[in-house]
Amino acid sequence: MAKQKTLREEFTKGIIKENPVLRLVLGTCPTLATTTSMESAIGMGISAAIVLVCSNIVISALRKVIPQKVRIPCYIVVIAAFVTIVQMLVKAFVPSLDEQLGVYLPLIVVNCIILGRAEAFAGKNSVVASAVDGLGMGIGFTVALIVISAVRELFGAGSLLGHALLPFPAMTIFVLAPGGFFVFGLVMACANKLAEMGGGKKAELGGCKACPMADTCQKLAKGDACEKEGKETVES
Amino acid sequence: MKNSKVKEIVVPAVSLFLICAAVTALLALTNQVTAPKISQLAVETENRTKNEVLADAKSFSDAKSASLDGSEYTYYEGLDGSGKIIGYVFSTSAKGYGGDIDVMVGIDSNGVIKGVSILSISETAGLGMNAKNDSFLNQYNGKSGELSVIKNGTPAEDEIQALTGATITSKAMTNAVNIAQNLYTQVGGENDG
Amino acid sequence: MKIFFSILLTAILTNNYILSKFLGICPFLGVSKKLNTAVGMSAAVIFVMMLASAVTYPLNTFLENHDLGYLQTIVFILVIAALVQLVEIVLKKYIPALYASLGIYLPLITTNCAVLGVTILNIDSGYSFAHAMINSLGAGLGFMVAMVMFAGVRSRLESCQVPKFLQGLPITLIAASLTSLSFLGFTGLVENMFA
Repeated sequence: MAKQKTLREEFTKGIIKENPVLRLVLGTCPTLATTTSMESAIGMGISAAIVLVCSNIVISALRKVIPQKVRIPCYIVVIAAFVTIVQMLVKAFVPSLDEQLGVYLPLIVVNCIILGRAEAFAGKNSVVASAVDGLGMGIGFTVALIVISAVRELFGAGSLLGHALLPFPAMTIFVLAPGGFFVFGLVMACANKLAEMGGGKKAELGGCKACPMADTCQKLAKGDACEKEGKETVES
Repeated sequence: MKNSKVKEIVVPAVSLFLICAAVTALLALTNQVTAPKISQLAVETENRTKNEVLADAKSFSDAKSASLDGSEYTYYEGLDGSGKIIGYVFSTSAKGYGGDIDVMVGIDSNGVIKGVSILSISETAGLGMNAKNDSFLNQYNGKSGELSVIKNGTPAEDEIQALTGATITSKAMTNAVNIAQNLYTQVGGENDG
Repeated sequence: MKIFFSILLTAILTNNYILSKFLGICPFLGVSKKLNTAVGMSAAVIFVMMLASAVTYPLNTFLENHDLGYLQTIVFILVIAALVQLVEIVLKKYIPALYASLGIYLPLITTNCAVLGVTILNIDSGYSFAHAMINSLGAGLGFMVAMVMFAGVRSRLESCQVPKFLQGLPITLIAASLTSLSFLGFTGLVENMFA
C-alpha cells in the first residue's frame, strides 16, 4: 500500500498528470464524437462528470457490501442508473443538449473513464477521496473536451460557442469525422510534448491500467502473445 | 460446505438483485418527476413552432389527423381573430441520414408555404445539421406545388438548393414538405370554396 | 429488398460506426496492430452485435408497452453483459474451436460502445426487427472493414520514420483521420445507387 495521498493531490491529478483523455487515453469515443462544437463538448463533459462523481460516491459507500464476484455488474448497474437520471434531467431541462448529444448521452454508461475509476479507485477508497477523485477526473475530461472542441469549432465552423469569429470561410472538414481524429492526434502530441518537458511519460494505450479491460487489451496489443493466449485458455 | 455455497452464489446474487431493485425504484421516482416536464416541454415546443411557421394565425384548432399513403399525420387549423381558417400547420417527417427528421410546415389557405421548422433532427454536424439554418429553411417560404432538390445551378421556382454535402438531408426535408402539401390538398381543398 | 441493401451499405460505408460515428474507438486503436487480431475481434463484434440486437429489440418493445422506456439503458447494458458471459461459457464448453478464435475478445466487448450503440440506434431510428438485424450486420461488417483496413495502414506505419513529436498515439490518430477521410468519399454513394 502506498502512502495516502492528500485530497488535493487526488483532485489535481485527474486534471493534469492523469488527465483521463490526454494521458490515460480513456473515453475516446465521446471525446471524438461530441467535440464538434464547444457547447456539446461542455454538455458532455458536465454530464459525464456528474455521473462520475455520483457513481464514485455510491460505489465507494457500497464497497464493503458489494461481493467481489459480482462487482463489475454492480458497478455497471449503479453507473447506468445515474446515466439514466442525468439523461432524464437533460431531456426535461436542457432539451437542446439532448438533441446535440443524441445517442452519446446514454452511451456514457460505457465510457470507460467511469467504470475505470470505479474499478481502480472508488472500489478501494473512502467516500470523500472517491468523490474528490471523481470530480478531478470529471473536470479533467471536460477540460480536454473543451480544448479539442475549441480547435474544431474555430476552424470547422469559424466560431466559438456559437459566436462567429473567423473572417475567412471555415473548413468544414474539422467538424467532420476525419477532423476529429486529426485534432485529437495533434492535441495529444502537444500534451505529450508538455508532459515530456515536465519529465512525464508519453500517453499510450498500454497505459490504460485504469480500464477494467486493460488486461485483455494489452495481451491483444502485444499481438504475438495472443495466439498462445487463445490456446491456453481452451486447455485450462 | 453448504455455508460456502451460500456465500459463493446466494450472497452475490441477492446483493446484485437488491442493487437492481433499489436502482429501479430510484429511476421510477426520477421518471415520475421528469416525465410530465418532458411532455410539457414537447407541447410547448410544438406550440411555439406552430406560431413560427404560420405567424398570421391568432389561434390554432385542436390536433386533427389525416392519412396519406397509409401513414397518419397530425395537423392543426390556423384561425384568425374571428375563427376563420386562414391556413394549416402539418406535422410530418421523412427519413434523413441519421434517422427521422420531424418538421412542421405552415401552409396558408392559398396553398403557399409560409414557413418550415424542424422539431427534431439528428444529422451530421457541419453538414446535414445546417438544415436548421434559416438560409436553408427560408427557401421553402412562398413556394407551392411539388418541390425537388438540385445540387448545382440556380434553383427554379419549384426547386430547392441542396445543402453542401448533405443531399440526403435536403431531400428528406423536401419530402417532408411535399407530404405536407399533399396533405393540404387533401384537407384544405374542401374548405377552399 | 432495396431498402435492405441500402441499410446494409449505409452502415458499412457511409455511416461506418468507427469512422463516422466514433463508436468502438478503443478496440479500433488498441487491437488493430495485427491483422489476425483485428479480424478475430471484428468477428466477435459482428456476432455479439447481431445477438444483442436480436435480444434487445423485443425487450424494448416489452418495456415500452409497459411504460418502462426509462429502463432502456440499464436493461440493455445488463443484457449485453450477461449475454457476453453466456456466450463465453457456451462457446468454451461446446464449440472450443470457435472459442479459441473468438473467446479472448469477448470480455472486451461488454463495454464496447459500438454494441450498446447499435442496439440503441436501432430503436432510435425506428427500424423494424428485420431492418434492425440488417443494420446490426452492417455495423459489424463496417467495424471489420475499418479494423482490417486500419491494421494494414498501421503495419505500413511501423516501417515509416515518424517525427518524434508525433510518434506513438498521435500518428496513429492522424492515420485514422486519413482512413476516415477516405470513407468520406462514400458519401452519397448509397443514395445515388438506390435513388
